[in-house]
Amino acid sequence: MFILKHLFCFALKILLLRKGVIYVINTVLNADEINQLLRRYGVKFGIYKNGQFKEQFFPFDPIPRVIGADDFRVIEKGLVQRADALNKFLFDIYHEKNIIRDGVVPEDFVYISSGYLPQCEGLTPPENIYSHISGIDLVEGKDGEWYILEDNLRIPSGASYPLIARELTRMASPDVFKTNGVADNRNYANLLKDTMDFVNRGGINAILTPGRYNSAYFEHSYLAELTGASLVQNDELFVEDNMLWQKTYSGGKTRVGTLYRRISDEYLDPLTFNLESLIGIPNLMEAYRSGNVAIMNALGNGVADDKGIYYFVPKMIKYYLGEDAILKNAPTYLPFYEDDRDYVLKNIDRLVIKDVAEAGGYGVIFGSDLSDEKIENLRQTIKREPRRFIAQEVIDFKDLPILENGEQVMRKADLRAFVLSGETTRVWASGLTRFSRNPDSFVVNSSQGGGFKDTWVLSR
Amino acid sequence: MKTLNFSFSTKLTFDNYVHDHTFALRCMPVESPSQHTVSCEMNISPFVPTRNTMDSFGNTITAGYISKEHRFLDFEINGRAEINLSNPKTDFMPCYLYNSAYTVPDKALKEFYIELSENCSAETPFDRTAYFSDKISDIITYEKGVTDTKTKASEAFALKKGVCQDFSHIMLSLLRLDKIPCRYIAGLACCDGETHSWIEVWNGEKWFGFDPANNCPVNEDYLILSQGRDFGDCSIDRGVMFGAYTRQLQLITSNLTEVY
Repeated sequence: MFILKHLFCFALKILLLRKGVIYVINTVLNADEINQLLRRYGVKFGIYKNGQFKEQFFPFDPIPRVIGADDFRVIEKGLVQRADALNKFLFDIYHEKNIIRDGVVPEDFVYISSGYLPQCEGLTPPENIYSHISGIDLVEGKDGEWYILEDNLRIPSGASYPLIARELTRMASPDVFKTNGVADNRNYANLLKDTMDFVNRGGINAILTPGRYNSAYFEHSYLAELTGASLVQNDELFVEDNMLWQKTYSGGKTRVGTLYRRISDEYLDPLTFNLESLIGIPNLMEAYRSGNVAIMNALGNGVADDKGIYYFVPKMIKYYLGEDAILKNAPTYLPFYEDDRDYVLKNIDRLVIKDVAEAGGYGVIFGSDLSDEKIENLRQTIKREPRRFIAQEVIDFKDLPILENGEQVMRKADLRAFVLSGETTRVWASGLTRFSRNPDSFVVNSSQGGGFKDTWVLSR
Repeated sequence: MKTLNFSFSTKLTFDNYVHDHTFALRCMPVESPSQHTVSCEMNISPFVPTRNTMDSFGNTITAGYISKEHRFLDFEINGRAEINLSNPKTDFMPCYLYNSAYTVPDKALKEFYIELSENCSAETPFDRTAYFSDKISDIITYEKGVTDTKTKASEAFALKKGVCQDFSHIMLSLLRLDKIPCRYIAGLACCDGETHSWIEVWNGEKWFGFDPANNCPVNEDYLILSQGRDFGDCSIDRGVMFGAYTRQLQLITSNLTEVY
């Protein structure tokens, strides 16, 4: 109660202007108080820097991003379409490969991708679902249009942050959400549980974490708590008779029907992938191949969220669904194609160059930041290894207000939307808004020092 | 067609007790149009129920789990197979065109490839394979004990020494640079008391076998136990176990003889 009282003591009036509609929000919470509370809950993420593990606090900004109901309907439709096409693409790549045969996606982009796993050829995951949870990053341009920045189909994290932030702000100021007609985001737990239940092959749902030194450990434990799944580490699990089991405290065993794993593919089964892995479950692939356990997300998804494959997603939507993409990609060039390469080499000083092998905001180069010498080096590298890079126009995205030392300032922000594919494909009416704390930076990744906001989707 | 009797056994001994031992064996002969297993029996000691699945490369995986403490794991297979190379094998995977973990070439291998391809007038995948293999046997010496199961093509190439596995990896690396799809084979060969490795090369329609360590095409005296992009996909036994053991000793014996 002590904490709640403190939260109430700060009342601010903020006007949020959106498409001519004015929402008056009576209370904006004291950011410091909320952040203290988040700290107490252990809402942190860890990063490895120079070989050292550091836990970092993920700063919360109390001014929410607000998405209007009409806007969200369009985003929702576009995301469902995108996730469905990506799932069909993954099925196709690991089976018939029609999209390659029909010349829509060049085979080099598929088979050179480090996310493509030949070990998954011909393997069909339960209910044909590959990407159960898709974390799709978007930005809103100054033109009011939403653009897709990237797809994350392996183990996208981040849903827990807006969940817990909402939980805490709701405690402090329950009226705000009712008055403003904010869609309740607490249904994420149900969406996630439904998704796990739908593919379950008999047994419990379990969330596999590498342990407390993992960057997203808070999220793993929080999602397990909310969905009733068992939070497990690899030494509690084993494969026998090609089924996955959890050891129980009484010395028995319980069958696991769905494994929501938060470990990347190459560490998941040391007998199929990296033999050195100490965090995997030996012979998990055999249980999976036998259809005795669902793995969320499926193995081999990396081939579809490869930065090089991104370019082809609108073409995939057309190919598999016969529809035009509702949400646009950022204008992208592939130096792999000669025309695009010429354009990139000529305009390199105003483009963003991304190394397809890197993630988490690493390997993102803004041409405008480089010296002449570095630009020349980059040109040579692109000529030498055209497949390694994509280039994009810098999108002029809409800045969002954040509070810094009590002042409102404008910063770059993106939105990670969560799409859950089970019996149907559904978009969570919330999402993780990440912002850059550095006024000059476009990179919002949490590993690069960014913060987050809650995302309010208005229901009317 | 030839009929071959085969036997293969390995004995793993630990110098202390281990438990929670999970293993995956790839030692059941691969079934294909040119290789048919007439009979095959497998024995594992200590006795443990096992399950078979087929991986994406066409290998049978025998999976098992021993929770109790034990100090050894022995397994052996005995059987009879018919080899008939006049029936073509046409199973194909695009990944065989791309270099994999063991075969990624370094600068030296790439330079060697450029030199090779400039001097090679052969056109068909078979002739190019034979040419490459000839050149490799000129410069690489067969020698045991200098490389191990982790040695990559580029490392063996730098040493200029190695065993059959290394010859295979170097060949795969060069052929893939030459845009010829090819795969790694682990198996048994007549008159060879151990496991052997060779390669298969795709000629556009079907696979043919080539033995780079002996610099000769494969005949019907070879039995395929597993196949894949490189050794990593083909290891005959892999296992993970817990315990305070410090050393494991592995003894492998095999025998392949023609039945007249």
